[in-house]
Amino acid sequence: MRTRLSDSLIPGGLAVGGLVLVATLATAQTPAYRAPRTADGRPNLNGIWQALNTANWDLQGHAAAKGPVPSLGAVFVVPPGLGVVEGEEIPYLPAAAARKKENQANWAALDPEAKCYLPGVPRAAYLPYPFQIVQSSQNILISHQFANAVRVVNMGAPTKAPGDSWMGWSNGRWDGETLVVDVTSLDERTWFDRAGNFHSDALHVVERYTPRSADTLTYEATIEDPKVFSRPWKISMPLYRRVERDARLLEFRCVEFAEEMMYGNLRKKPGN
Amino acid sequence: MSRRSLALTAVLAAGVLVALVAQPPVAGQTSSAAAKPQAAAKPWTPPRTPDGRPDLQGIYTDNTVTPFQRPKNLGTKEFYTEQEFAELMKRARQGDIGEEGNLGAANPQEVRYDLELYGFDRSRVRFGSNRRTSLIVGPEGVVPPMLPEARKRNADRAARNKGHEFDSHENRPLSERCIILNQERIPLIPGANEGNLVQIVQGAGYVSILRETNHSTRVIPTDGRPHVPKNIRFYQGDSVGRWEGNTLVVDTTNFTNLSAFQGSGENLHLVERFTRVADDTLVYEFTAEDPTTWARPWSAEIPWTRTRGPVYEWACHEGNNMIVNILRGARVAEQNAAQKR
Amino acid sequence: MRTKLLAVAAGAALLLAAAPVRAHHAFAAEFDAAKPVKVRGSVVKWELTNPHSWIHIDVKGTDGKVVTWMIEGASPNNLYRLGLSKESLPVGTEIVVEGYQAKDGSSKAVGRNIVFADGRKFFLGLSEAEGAPK
Repeated sequence: MRTRLSDSLIPGGLAVGGLVLVATLATAQTPAYRAPRTADGRPNLNGIWQALNTANWDLQGHAAAKGPVPSLGAVFVVPPGLGVVEGEEIPYLPAAAARKKENQANWAALDPEAKCYLPGVPRAAYLPYPFQIVQSSQNILISHQFANAVRVVNMGAPTKAPGDSWMGWSNGRWDGETLVVDVTSLDERTWFDRAGNFHSDALHVVERYTPRSADTLTYEATIEDPKVFSRPWKISMPLYRRVERDARLLEFRCVEFAEEMMYGNLRKKPGN
Repeated sequence: MSRRSLALTAVLAAGVLVALVAQPPVAGQTSSAAAKPQAAAKPWTPPRTPDGRPDLQGIYTDNTVTPFQRPKNLGTKEFYTEQEFAELMKRARQGDIGEEGNLGAANPQEVRYDLELYGFDRSRVRFGSNRRTSLIVGPEGVVPPMLPEARKRNADRAARNKGHEFDSHENRPLSERCIILNQERIPLIPGANEGNLVQIVQGAGYVSILRETNHSTRVIPTDGRPHVPKNIRFYQGDSVGRWEGNTLVVDTTNFTNLSAFQGSGENLHLVERFTRVADDTLVYEFTAEDPTTWARPWSAEIPWTRTRGPVYEWACHEGNNMIVNILRGARVAEQNAAQKR
Repeated sequence: MRTKLLAVAAGAALLLAAAPVRAHHAFAAEFDAAKPVKVRGSVVKWELTNPHSWIHIDVKGTDGKVVTWMIEGASPNNLYRLGLSKESLPVGTEIVVEGYQAKDGSSKAVGRNIVFADGRKFFLGLSEAEGAPK
């Protein structure tokens, strides 16, 4: 009956309302998901992870477009994709914006990925190939299938780089559920994607890896480079665990696939 | 400028711990010349990782002047006595050794660089702490003779390349192309004084091994899974691991026919064993087996010493001027020869 | 005038015999031991790559023209362990290089011996000036 229903609804409603209120407060203070711990009590990020988006093609949203090799037809085209840049805009300084356009116009010849060069940070996280996190208390090693790229994140007291490197210099720390990695001293020759987005030797990246479910992470990277951008900007995306039973990184040296384009002009001419 | 400060900096340059003439004994080592140094005393128990596995983690140098193969005149002698060892170390530091040591870039004949300039200071070279006469163990101490089929296989390959060695990048060695350098190849064979460190990082169910040269990384599963199918081949093969007591045993197969470790073929089967025997020492052993190349398997043993890191990035392909210089040099030589005709 | 390209010099062949499987590439294939050079220039760039770093220097010829030479040096990883960093060789530093020219006759050489303009030894001079490494 109605009375009984309303009798039960009101206290029920209050109870539910009360629960919702408590739950809201709870999510405001703590993340929704708490990852299983490693034996030394840290969020467990061990595993093989991979991005499932088109960030490596273009960090910004884009429709499908013709690829650089017409004879490959639909096999090798630019797939459509939404952007991963928060606020959509990449805030180039005017001179840098012009260089981005030049890069993009000539990307197949200029993109260091085509030469199988080490991809740098953050690009290594969203290449279309898996990478593996091997987590110990003192170090976190991140191994990439592409070009056997690797970096070791120092989890002790932060240290300083003696020189630039392609995969940068990484100092890490925990912030609750999140692994925060501060990356500096990145070689200026890496790109962010195949659309010509680039940086200088002043690049500073702060990455955040936060477990969001048993088999996904949220990956965020704040990018700062006063020589190229007018302000810091940020990308974010999920990373997915490779859950197949025998998932593993396979050898993908890729140098031999880039050699013809790089050294083909030095071949012996027939008849010499 | 004092020689001492030079020596100190050179130690860091070589990535080697200071090697005192009277080396502190490794746990388990006895002074008996005949006894195998590792076996005599009570085995040392390594600490465990938080998930209960032997902790092999750290940064190591495998730097040693001990030659890969035993000098012929030593016959079946596997170990030096302490006195012989001290003598040898002294002579090596004077640059006065032949086959008994591999001085690498500290070799007096090295044309490329002025020794002192780059810290290749001969006065600090060191031998492996186990006083072996060669890295290869056993009475022979050398790579077994190649079977006729392997000899033919390798000769055929060389014959195909003869006269074409500089035609293109494809004719050059994998090392020159920065695809696989000799110093990163497995099994891991040391150099005399190269800064070629190894870093081990362990996570749940995996052991990762990072070799400095060419940032060469293996992440080895220890869950007992099988190798990848036979049709899938890799330059460095496919490695799977398991724990046997305190030893990590890594089994590698699925090599390509270009891997050619010591002239072997794609049937190469490699077993590596990693055992920490003291706080600062890890013993690395490997056994190589290929019935299409050698009549019997053969093994080597190399002591690694903990050292200070970090391991720096060693990017090769990203600045590979050498292959361009080499190919261009060949093209110029051809042009000059053509002009003369 | 073009210098003759000689066959592999005996010294270089000895080198190859002394370090067989271990050498990552043949000195003799890239540089010519029979073409010693000595150049003096100011640093334009220091490429910190492996297995060798490359120092780019601007060399003023007798005709007044400036040519950029590339000098091959040691692995930067070894230099970092000596206590050096990318700041150790600022742009504009004057250095004198003795070495062997590249086989293709270009303005490249391996830096067998590198000293500062004032005669101090290059890498070692730097490490002393900065004090003992950490």
